[in-house]
Amino acid sequence: MSVDVTGVDRDTLVRPIQTFSKRYLAALAVGLGLIGVWLVFYYQQLRHGLIVTNLSDWGSGGGVPWGLYIGAFIWWVGIAHGGIILSAAVRLLGMDTYQPVARLAELLTIAALTCAGLFILIHVGRPDRLVTSVVPAWPTRVQWSPLMWDVTVITAYFVLTATYLALTIRYDIHRLRDRLPSPLDPLYDALMVGYSEKEDEVVERMVWWIAFAIIIMAPLLLHGGVIPWLFALLPSMAGWAGGVQGPSFLSIALTSAVSGIIIIAAAFRYAYGWDELIPDAVFRGLSQWLGFFSLIFLWLQLQQVITGIFAAPTTLQHATEVKIATPLYWVAIGLVALAMLYAFATSLRPDLFDIRTMVALSVGVLAGTLAEKVLFVVEGLQHAHFALYDGVPGAYVPSPTELSALLGTIGIVVLFFLVVSKVIPVVELHAIEDDHEEVNP
Amino acid sequence: MSTDESPPPGDDEERNRRLLDETEYDTELGLEMGRDAQRVSAGELSELEFYRRYHDRIVEEFDIDDREIDLPDPDEADPDDVGFLDRIGSALQGIDPDGEESRRSVMKKGAAAAGAMGIAGWGTAQNAAGQGDGEGGGAGGGDEGEGTRWGMTINLNNCDGCLACMAACDQEHNLSRGANWMYVFAFEDEGQGDETNFLPRTCQHCTDSPCTKVCPVGARHTREEDGLVLTDYDICIGCRYCEVSCPYGVNYFQWGEPDVPESEVDDDHQIDDRGRWVGSRPPEGVMGKCTFCVDRQDGQMGEDKIGTTACEEACTMDAIHFGDLNDPESPPNQHLDEYREGQDNDLSEFPNRKEHTTSTFKLMEERGTEPNVRFVGNEPSPHAEQVEGPVAYEDMGLTDDRKEVLDEGASATQGGESA
Repeated sequence: MSVDVTGVDRDTLVRPIQTFSKRYLAALAVGLGLIGVWLVFYYQQLRHGLIVTNLSDWGSGGGVPWGLYIGAFIWWVGIAHGGIILSAAVRLLGMDTYQPVARLAELLTIAALTCAGLFILIHVGRPDRLVTSVVPAWPTRVQWSPLMWDVTVITAYFVLTATYLALTIRYDIHRLRDRLPSPLDPLYDALMVGYSEKEDEVVERMVWWIAFAIIIMAPLLLHGGVIPWLFALLPSMAGWAGGVQGPSFLSIALTSAVSGIIIIAAAFRYAYGWDELIPDAVFRGLSQWLGFFSLIFLWLQLQQVITGIFAAPTTLQHATEVKIATPLYWVAIGLVALAMLYAFATSLRPDLFDIRTMVALSVGVLAGTLAEKVLFVVEGLQHAHFALYDGVPGAYVPSPTELSALLGTIGIVVLFFLVVSKVIPVVELHAIEDDHEEVNP
Repeated sequence: MSTDESPPPGDDEERNRRLLDETEYDTELGLEMGRDAQRVSAGELSELEFYRRYHDRIVEEFDIDDREIDLPDPDEADPDDVGFLDRIGSALQGIDPDGEESRRSVMKKGAAAAGAMGIAGWGTAQNAAGQGDGEGGGAGGGDEGEGTRWGMTINLNNCDGCLACMAACDQEHNLSRGANWMYVFAFEDEGQGDETNFLPRTCQHCTDSPCTKVCPVGARHTREEDGLVLTDYDICIGCRYCEVSCPYGVNYFQWGEPDVPESEVDDDHQIDDRGRWVGSRPPEGVMGKCTFCVDRQDGQMGEDKIGTTACEEACTMDAIHFGDLNDPESPPNQHLDEYREGQDNDLSEFPNRKEHTTSTFKLMEERGTEPNVRFVGNEPSPHAEQVEGPVAYEDMGLTDDRKEVLDEGASATQGGESA
């Protein structure tokens, strides 16, 4: 189902860089506003401590020490998967249909990983020690602490993705330099240090290997590995332990990642009239992937529910019964199921397909996966093996401070795309021109 | 317990002789050594004498003598002990002077030879050497292990739920409201009607503690010298992973400013003998939990407080017994022994039964954490439910549900509320 967009000219490609509109300003204001709201609340947290959240001690206190912050951390790492996996699929498997959105996806990876990292910073009681305590401890703790595994793998993932991006944009900047804003020349000069056209072929091979490393690392080691292992390896909580968490987390990550790409791609298509550059076929393809990943997600939830209620040990049975008695859980499942049904229905009846509907359903999927992850963290803590505490399960509703951080990180992603799209082409030149054309000013 | 393990029977000489005959080594030497090794473990023969008696013949047979025995360390000798050098001298008479070098490097060879010979007493001699001043504790006695391992025996049958231990702990460690490092459950269980049971819960100071494993920065750690599980308040980043991984719910994070300010806490209570800040309540943003009164164990509250805890001292019901689990004479081991002695099992008719009928348990032992707190009494079943005890937490000036305190603090942050 490859789609040829090579007829699109270069001016269309750099349209975000060369235009400036009130709508852009409005979006910028929204992004900055969201960040501002969060900063006001975060200042209070820095001043008074985590007491301003609704987190609390589990045990005699009956609370949850991990809540929305950790749920949102997992969620953002999940979204980050989409970028590079999609991009790597284009490069390694020749899925050229998705080339127009490959770089948007890579940028989403960078932005989402940044937000995930930020949630770690917000979550800890002593953010000032993240460097002074973590760096010296790394050599001795990395073989023990799953949290240190997370920090390590996420950092490696970030570095690989950033390297991948930095290497591939040199090709485009070199060929589009005359269309890029001259006030930013120092930045472009820095990005282009030592560039010669001879490197293109070498870089092509290098990014192939980086893509190869990432596509192995991201699903198997990140969301299929260290993130679920934060929970799956613990002896304390009935709802957490077990090998199904790896595949389950991965399915949630891929579902949210594709949803994220659909939303970002649709936003750019709408804002810059990119109907030709990002054609319908891209969205149809992405929605089928979303349908497939949603199916896997739902299937793995079914596995957990069935094994948890049929003849499970007391504590696991209890945890599962609580989970399926929680309305929010079914809202999450419903939102993902809806997207799946729509994706499959439009495969059978292509005329039903509508990008706006798909975007709305993708937003629903992201809300559903966030809800599922926060519930997983919170309900896991509320139904421990040691069930003697009368205060457990206590109630947990995220505080305004915690919710503001969610808004703040969404604002950061919005701001990131608004700024980056003014600086570099967010669609690869390769999407509209065959490889390795000579410079053609 | 491994103390019950008996060495291979010495009178089973025929079997040993057959085993030894199959090897290329001296059968008579093996049998003689086996007999004498048992005399060593019985205290009839000194280790040094055992070493000297066979040294020449072992060297002749194996080219090397690498039996593990505890020779006195000259570096640690008391300078006033004039007999020390003589003893060393006589022990080493006729022994290869560069034995120091060979001791570890040729261990494999010696062990292989011993294994091949099937020397019955070899393992016994090693055990005898490793056990210091004789273990000999009964079934309830000290576990094997070197050095100190602080732990508790809590007798639930004695606890009346007075909460004095909780109050004492709270006061001694300057805890913030609701941070109940010691927490006493009152509970009712299935099939026990309205009868109320009690369970005092400290940190279990697990030997295989999940919290120390998961800590990303090594702030939560096990102190090597005595097995205490502590938090280094200078390193902790406050990620709360220890709290999440603990099956017992013993961790209490410092969500806001501590109730008792830094200026009111002495360094003696806070800094341990390694110079690390692990004692008393944690500062804001850092994790805290029961320390088994580390300041007392380090002698910073006086020599007479070593081997005691605030909760144990406050307990008038003889329920809490703190001490060195490696020492058979320590209060937790003594109490268990004494308690069991009163409840002998009928071994005359049922020889395979345990020696006593006392019910003991470790909390959720099946989680694999190897807790260092043992309980006498009935373990709460999964269906047990916490109920109100005879003394309310509030009556002792304590807070049960910390969430209430935290909510208060959250809604009044402008006023600098603490928790």
